[in-house]
Amino acid sequence: MISDGKIRKLTVCVLCAGILFLSGGLLLMPKKEFSENENRYLEKMPAFTAKTALDGTYTKSLGDWVADHFPMRDFFMSLKTGAEMACGRKEINHIYVAKDDYLIEPYDRPQNTERIIDTLVRFSNKIKEEDVAVSLMLVPTAVTIYGDKLPACAPPSEQMETAREIWDAAGIPAVDCSEKLLAADEQLYYRTDHHWTTAGAYCGYLAYCEEKGILPVPKEALEAHTVTDEFAGTLYSKVNDYSHVKDEITIYGNPADELTVTYRDTGEVSDSLYNFDYLREKDKYSVFLNNIHSLVEIENRAASSDAVLMLIKDSYANSMVPFLAHHYKKIYVFDTRYYKEGPSAFLSEHREVTDVLLLYNMNTLDSDSGIRGIY
Amino acid sequence: MVFSCIPFVFFFLPLCLILYYAVHFLRRKVSCKHFSLENGILLVFSLIFYAWGEPLYILLMLFSTLLDYTNGRLMERFGVTKGRRVFFLCCSVCINLLLLSFFKYADFIVSLINGAFGTGIAAPGIHLPIGISFYTFQTMSYIIDLYRGEVKAERSYPAYLTYVSMFPQLVAGPIVRFSDINEQLHDRNITAEEIEKGLLRFMMGLFKKVLLANQAGALWEEIRLLGAGRTSVATAWLGAVCFTLQLYLDFSAYSDMAIGMGRMLGFRYHENFRYPLTAVSVTDFWRRWHISLSTWFRDYVYIPLGGNRRGVARHLFNIAVVWFLTGLWHGASFNFILWGVYYGVLLALEKYVWGKAQAALPGWLRHLYALFIVVFGFVIFAITDMGELKQYIGILFSFGAEGIADSRFLWYLRNYAPALLVSGIVSCPVYPRLFEKLSGLEEKRGRAVSVFAGAFIVALFLLSTAYMVSDTYNPFLYFRF
Repeated sequence: MISDGKIRKLTVCVLCAGILFLSGGLLLMPKKEFSENENRYLEKMPAFTAKTALDGTYTKSLGDWVADHFPMRDFFMSLKTGAEMACGRKEINHIYVAKDDYLIEPYDRPQNTERIIDTLVRFSNKIKEEDVAVSLMLVPTAVTIYGDKLPACAPPSEQMETAREIWDAAGIPAVDCSEKLLAADEQLYYRTDHHWTTAGAYCGYLAYCEEKGILPVPKEALEAHTVTDEFAGTLYSKVNDYSHVKDEITIYGNPADELTVTYRDTGEVSDSLYNFDYLREKDKYSVFLNNIHSLVEIENRAASSDAVLMLIKDSYANSMVPFLAHHYKKIYVFDTRYYKEGPSAFLSEHREVTDVLLLYNMNTLDSDSGIRGIY
Repeated sequence: MVFSCIPFVFFFLPLCLILYYAVHFLRRKVSCKHFSLENGILLVFSLIFYAWGEPLYILLMLFSTLLDYTNGRLMERFGVTKGRRVFFLCCSVCINLLLLSFFKYADFIVSLINGAFGTGIAAPGIHLPIGISFYTFQTMSYIIDLYRGEVKAERSYPAYLTYVSMFPQLVAGPIVRFSDINEQLHDRNITAEEIEKGLLRFMMGLFKKVLLANQAGALWEEIRLLGAGRTSVATAWLGAVCFTLQLYLDFSAYSDMAIGMGRMLGFRYHENFRYPLTAVSVTDFWRRWHISLSTWFRDYVYIPLGGNRRGVARHLFNIAVVWFLTGLWHGASFNFILWGVYYGVLLALEKYVWGKAQAALPGWLRHLYALFIVVFGFVIFAITDMGELKQYIGILFSFGAEGIADSRFLWYLRNYAPALLVSGIVSCPVYPRLFEKLSGLEEKRGRAVSVFAGAFIVALFLLSTAYMVSDTYNPFLYFRF
């Protein structure tokens, strides 16, 4: 392979030194518990027991531990991404590297459409006897709205076809914000995250208001603050290109609102829809509605109506809630991945609810178990 | 444990080699009568290697080896008449085949019985012990060779177990025959040059596996899952080519790594692949693909049956038997049998119908002919579900396809063309030819080329480490067999 004997020896010595340097580094270096870049806890050193040794889980966890704490892990991860980009790859770790520095999550072929329809039908039958107005808002993600930013030849997204199928079959009045999003010319999605921006959420809010006949609060009446320009979201973490541009997060406040926000699961009470502590952390989108809570109650003493909304949703709704809050005396916000008692039962115990909004984005609708918790 | 993972490359292998060389170079005089300390280290590491993925089935391997070892000793001690020797041979071969059938084919046989008689017997649901197909064939080669008087019985059970369980070739071949390494098992010469060349060979395999085979495999997985409504003819063929490249690179990478590690430890294994994708005919392909398996079937099945020396009818029968078994060996599923039969038929046709005409064709056409048969054959090999297989083959020939080519095809090409191109080049004997040319260079330029090659290898090693660290898709195909 290498004809010159001395050079061959030298190459082999360099390789061996490299191996021993890295394995020594893994054994001797202090270990991190949490990976900021990937936003997850790293594997802990597994405990050796007879059971885990025999069923093979010990060796599996040990292998994960080694990979998670490998020296210069971030360097190696970005090296792989760099090599793939150099080879002209436009899809890295299943994320499109799109135009204008956008990272966009593809829409995989939906696997659970029938099950979702079934759940929705059962939900709507169950609450038929209640006197509430239900609507179903399915939000397209960047892969649909920013289709023109996708790399050339990328397979087209079929999100709205699936959404249409679900709306038709579920028999729940639809809120379709795709046209409003397509017509808008602001930044509607984060470049580095799978969520929509507050501007995107505002489009969603306008579509909802139009459907419900509510007069929306114009943007000019709201106070805008850019709270960070250092947001590196989930897609940034998946792609591992640490030189990628970061995002701004802007929030809108309505000075007229007088809010009390109660997090039912933790008992916290606040007068704000935001938790600014998250701006110091990696996952800055959690600033909206204080990250994940199974049930949040939002009271607005200055609401424009006496209506009460039950919002069953995924995290896309977190940045739309600040707009909705103005119109409802009270909003119950459910995250059905964690709220296990079934919102439909909640409804029969809380007769003051007048409206129900189901809000999911098309990607997590299919990939996440959240929607299954609504019934 | 697979070879291409961080724990193996950075811990298991270095630790094993350090201890092994320490014993070999420092205290080589100390050893028991039939079993050296080096073999002891090798054995312990091999058992850990196996137990890493199969903590319980290690008992099966111990049983299987103990059986063959005992039969071997008995055959040598008491096998004075042919009848007695046949008895020990049958005893060993039958039990081995029974174990293999039970652990590998039980579910398949049950499904066949249920299908034929409409019964509802529950499948036992046994998961395949890693490497059983490989080590069973190794132990059978030992007992058959012993019966034929081609080798002497191994006196030490630990040495025999070391042979069967040796981690470089334990889980995915090559199928090393006892007669090839029985002398090396007790006396081997390890030189610095062998260690260096072995390590570089191991690295070549690692690069092939991690940097190329996994890319081709990832694209194949994606195309396969597209389903009928989204696959154009071009995409389907691209998928078939990807699977072919993946299987060849993956499997030959494993053999490269095994041969390289064997060399580092002082063992010389035969080559298992000789650039099979550049074959000029089906017959040629099988002289180049998984050589240790095809020669095993040749020596232990085909030739004992009479080969081609007992007339045409008998020859055809022998071909049918061998290729049915070859297919079946690859897995307990119809598609593998179909794949074996496909090759049996083609080989018979080449032998008796168009072989001579085919040989007279221009070279490029012969390559194309062989490549087409191989790539199409691997589609049969790849898809175990018969319904899905039928659909995929249909799309290859434009039945039920989404047009001849679509933008999705271009999308795949755009993302994967460089990786596939390099894979294609590596599948041809470009490198050996280049090396031959370069070694003829004068000293100064030769050294410059060597420096470049060395730096390139170090760079590829860093890149492979990066791929292993961010390991998302890293299967070893032949683990299934």
